[in-house]
Amino acid sequence: MLALVLRGFLQRKLRVLLTAIAIALGVALMAGTYILTDTINHAFAEVFGNAYAKKAVVVTERETLGRGTGSEVSVLNDATLARVRAVPGVAAASGSVTTQAALLTTVGKRLTSGGAPAIIDAAQPPRFEAFTAVKGHLPRAAADLAIDEGTANREHLRLGQQIVIAGRSPARRYTISGIAKFAGSESLGGASVALLVPQQAQYVAGEPGAWQGINVAASPGLSPPQLASRVRAALPATLTVRTGAQEAANQTSELEEKVGFLRTFLLIFAYVALVVGAFIIFNTISITVAQRTREFGLLRTLGASRGQIMRAVVEEGLLLGIVGAVIGLFAGIGLAPALDGLFKAFGADLPDNGTVLEARTVIVSLGVGIVVTVAAGFLPALRATRVPPIAAMREGVQIPPRPLLSRRALIIRFVVGLAVVLAISTLSKGIGVVLLVGLVIRTMRLRYRLRHHGKPRNYRVVPALASAIGWLVSWRGITARLARENSVRQPGRTLTTALALTVGLGLVAFISVLAAGTKTTIDQAVSRSFAGSLIVQNSQSGQGLPAAVALAVRTVHGVGAVTAVAFTKGRVRNLAAAGAPVIAEKSAVTAIEPDSFVKMYKTEWEHGSPATLTALGPHDTVITKKFASAHDLHVGQRLSVLTASGHEVTLTVTGIVKEEVLGLLTNLTVLRSLASSAFGQREDGVDFVSYASGANGAEVRHGINSLLRANFPQTHSQTAAEYTHEVSSKLNTFLLLVYVLLALSVIVSLFGIVNTLILSIYERTRELGMMRAIGTSRSQIRQLIRYESLITAMIGGILGLLIGVVGAVLVTIFALSGSGYVVSIPLGTLLVLLIAAAFAGLIAALAPARRAARLDVLQALVSE
Amino acid sequence: MLHVVPGISLDCDRVNGTNGSAEPAQIVEAQDLTRRYGDGEAAVDALAGVTVDFPTGRYAAIMGPSGSGKSTLMHLLAGLDRPTSGTVSVGGVELTELDDRALTQLRRDRIGFIFQTFNLLPVLNAEENILLPLSIAGRDVDREWFDRLVDTVGIRDRLSHRPAELSGGQQQRVAVARALISRPAVVFADEPSGNLDSKASGDVLELLRHAVDDFSQTVVMVTHDAHAASFADRLLVLADGRIVHDGPAASAEEALDLMKAVG
Repeated sequence: MLALVLRGFLQRKLRVLLTAIAIALGVALMAGTYILTDTINHAFAEVFGNAYAKKAVVVTERETLGRGTGSEVSVLNDATLARVRAVPGVAAASGSVTTQAALLTTVGKRLTSGGAPAIIDAAQPPRFEAFTAVKGHLPRAAADLAIDEGTANREHLRLGQQIVIAGRSPARRYTISGIAKFAGSESLGGASVALLVPQQAQYVAGEPGAWQGINVAASPGLSPPQLASRVRAALPATLTVRTGAQEAANQTSELEEKVGFLRTFLLIFAYVALVVGAFIIFNTISITVAQRTREFGLLRTLGASRGQIMRAVVEEGLLLGIVGAVIGLFAGIGLAPALDGLFKAFGADLPDNGTVLEARTVIVSLGVGIVVTVAAGFLPALRATRVPPIAAMREGVQIPPRPLLSRRALIIRFVVGLAVVLAISTLSKGIGVVLLVGLVIRTMRLRYRLRHHGKPRNYRVVPALASAIGWLVSWRGITARLARENSVRQPGRTLTTALALTVGLGLVAFISVLAAGTKTTIDQAVSRSFAGSLIVQNSQSGQGLPAAVALAVRTVHGVGAVTAVAFTKGRVRNLAAAGAPVIAEKSAVTAIEPDSFVKMYKTEWEHGSPATLTALGPHDTVITKKFASAHDLHVGQRLSVLTASGHEVTLTVTGIVKEEVLGLLTNLTVLRSLASSAFGQREDGVDFVSYASGANGAEVRHGINSLLRANFPQTHSQTAAEYTHEVSSKLNTFLLLVYVLLALSVIVSLFGIVNTLILSIYERTRELGMMRAIGTSRSQIRQLIRYESLITAMIGGILGLLIGVVGAVLVTIFALSGSGYVVSIPLGTLLVLLIAAAFAGLIAALAPARRAARLDVLQALVSE
Repeated sequence: MLHVVPGISLDCDRVNGTNGSAEPAQIVEAQDLTRRYGDGEAAVDALAGVTVDFPTGRYAAIMGPSGSGKSTLMHLLAGLDRPTSGTVSVGGVELTELDDRALTQLRRDRIGFIFQTFNLLPVLNAEENILLPLSIAGRDVDREWFDRLVDTVGIRDRLSHRPAELSGGQQQRVAVARALISRPAVVFADEPSGNLDSKASGDVLELLRHAVDDFSQTVVMVTHDAHAASFADRLLVLADGRIVHDGPAASAEEALDLMKAVG
């Protein structure tokens, strides 16, 4: 049987290839994702390994709230350093500072782009330093700066050139004294690193005299673990002591967690493409099984068992899966750099030294591709087993429908299927989801047949949409009319083909509706809440604002008020409940300066008023209604909050705000002074500025901007309109990225349309031959196929848009109810999508139409 | 859109661009036709030099055993295939000089086809199938002519049915109406009764006879059924790619004898 399958395969190379591509694209994205993220992880592991290679032991402060939540106040100082040096066996110890800041040219242009961090490091004594100078020397004097080679090359920096560094203290100028190379690795993962003498690094970090870490070297004969335990014994328990290797591993795994999000994000798109691919495999194998009814009948007549027929079709699926998965894997190896380039184009610079192909990537990609293909081919295989031997003798024998299942059998099947799917999903969640979708659709179809006493499904939606779309092109005469009729000939087939496109377009529509809603919500939230004149923020989103900015802006002539808002985190316990349970692990906390804040930010109150905020004391907090109702909190209750700097504060709830989604006030709102004293918060998130009454706005803004440019070049001021515009353009960038990734699924569905068209042209060879014989021109035949494709694509497109829009509206109404989220339908975008679907259909029809038009009239007429 | 001349007259200028002068007496003319398949040793001459004319308004039957070249001859005459050498003209237009586009247009406007397997479009109903050649050409329907044809073939009560809902005989009658709807210069019928039972077969053959007698339609029919051939005015017999008999219509028995002689 396998030989027969193989021979059949070789005879239909083009079809096999087209079908295999349907699965290959999803597999390619999957393999590409693993390769890209493995490469990133590998690159960072190398960077961290090299960074800590020369450090036997590293002392850092403990991160009380878990990874990545270090407070902004360092507790290590020269006294700590002295205590470490006094530990027996310590050969040397030095303080380190690593902070993020803006690196700018003297005209204010950032040297880093696209979210890549600029890291400021305190230069270390040679025995600890991971950098070596390739030109000039590492910093010796206060004004010296050494920059990494990669940045120097990219930005064409020379020795002697001046660089501005803007961190938590007012910006300062430094002169490039050296260009440095990081030990061992080519790349620093896209980051720029500037080395300063330690005191200058402390200045940039805004903490003179404070160290963020202490590097320790061991005396000869002492192993790093031994040294670590000695140092640990000498220091308070609030500090963490690790060996260099442990610290490298710790930082690597912290980064891997972040890369994990990226991996999951990309894998979602890979699985979407695989679902679409599965649709196409299912459809293609179904059509070929129907076309080969006679062949299967013949095999049955010659004595083949049902099991053998089943195996033949399943083997075909298996081979198809193997071909597709292998193509996909190789394409994935090529795709990984392209994905990296895609992220670069969208402003995220990721390290890309070498390509890491783990065995896991190969196993998972091939496995998923093959399993999905075989699963998709399973139902057509079952149908093939029902071909009666008589089919060999007569033309047009219909495959009898499967016998009806009883209600009980249906339930049992569903449960068993569910168990199998769940078992598989422990291996791969993604495959689990794909199979679950298949199982649910299958069960629904069987249930439909049961309820309608075995009558085949009547896909009314296809003729309805086909007539509507056909009507649009009906002025084109008989070809349009025939195309419409042809597309409803096998409504199930047309629908499956169209649904493949529906999946991709539906998601695009869903996301664009939600995004439009987000933009409108932000617009409304800003215009409703913000009552100030200007918003001052770091021009790189996600980066903080030095606390000094608010103070400095306040001194500008014409400024009425400035209020700084900071964001921090804490672990919240509810003291009112028995056992004081933790109700939020890393809850967001907003810190405000109430007197000026209430003048520039309006919010609605569930319990309290703006006066509640102005009366906010150091032991008080205001919570949001959402947080209150989620944890049954009331005014007067007490909460205990563990802060990033390890303090435990007890706060009394004095008010509840009806803060809406995307609002500034988070779960808890506390005094900014409390945030800096107890939470270790040193940077602000945003400053609001209002002009003094009667001041000339333009002049005041000019004054503020000059001040910011001179002292805080990493910041900028925006009006509310400029701010919302920036947010929506960032959202657009993200949307574009999502669209590009979803485009893959749409491309997969195009292959499905091509496949179905080619197969149905093959079925209708004789019909097309007759049409040519009685005078239909080649261009009319092409037109016919184009319209068929157009109608299929439009059915898919319209269904996709409907499902996407309805889905997004439902999500907004139910999942986001009461959060103030607004529904906004981006009609323009949806129209563009519909036109895109139509174009997709026309493109898919190109090759099939040419093929149909090329048919030789005579051969077509005599073909069987 | 060209003006369609009512009645029987045919507008030749649609095809060859020359003036619509008088119709030649011979509507289809073939000179020294050969058709060779394959090359070298394996070459087979399906037609080995055939010269034949078909006058307007006559009914010719072409018979011959399998492989005699009768189908090849019809395909060449109808412009479905190109000869290896020799010339074919339909209504004075030399087919061998036409490109695919012109040939398609000629088939559309001047030639009607009836196939053994009916070849109706399953997605269209009977009326739409009959009108298909006009729809393809984008020409207006001459309702009077349509009504006359529908009544002649006797499928008025079946007009809104699709082919799947019609018997074989009914389908073939629809196909006959389709072949006649554009008032072609010549109708080629390829075993028109081959897939029908004797009753339906007789009906269809009568219809063709009727078209020749009442509408002065030229019909060229390929068949290996001697009974079918007996409906024609003229009988041609082919064997080994050559015409071995060309004479007036014969009875079924005479035709059978002729066939036996060559077969």
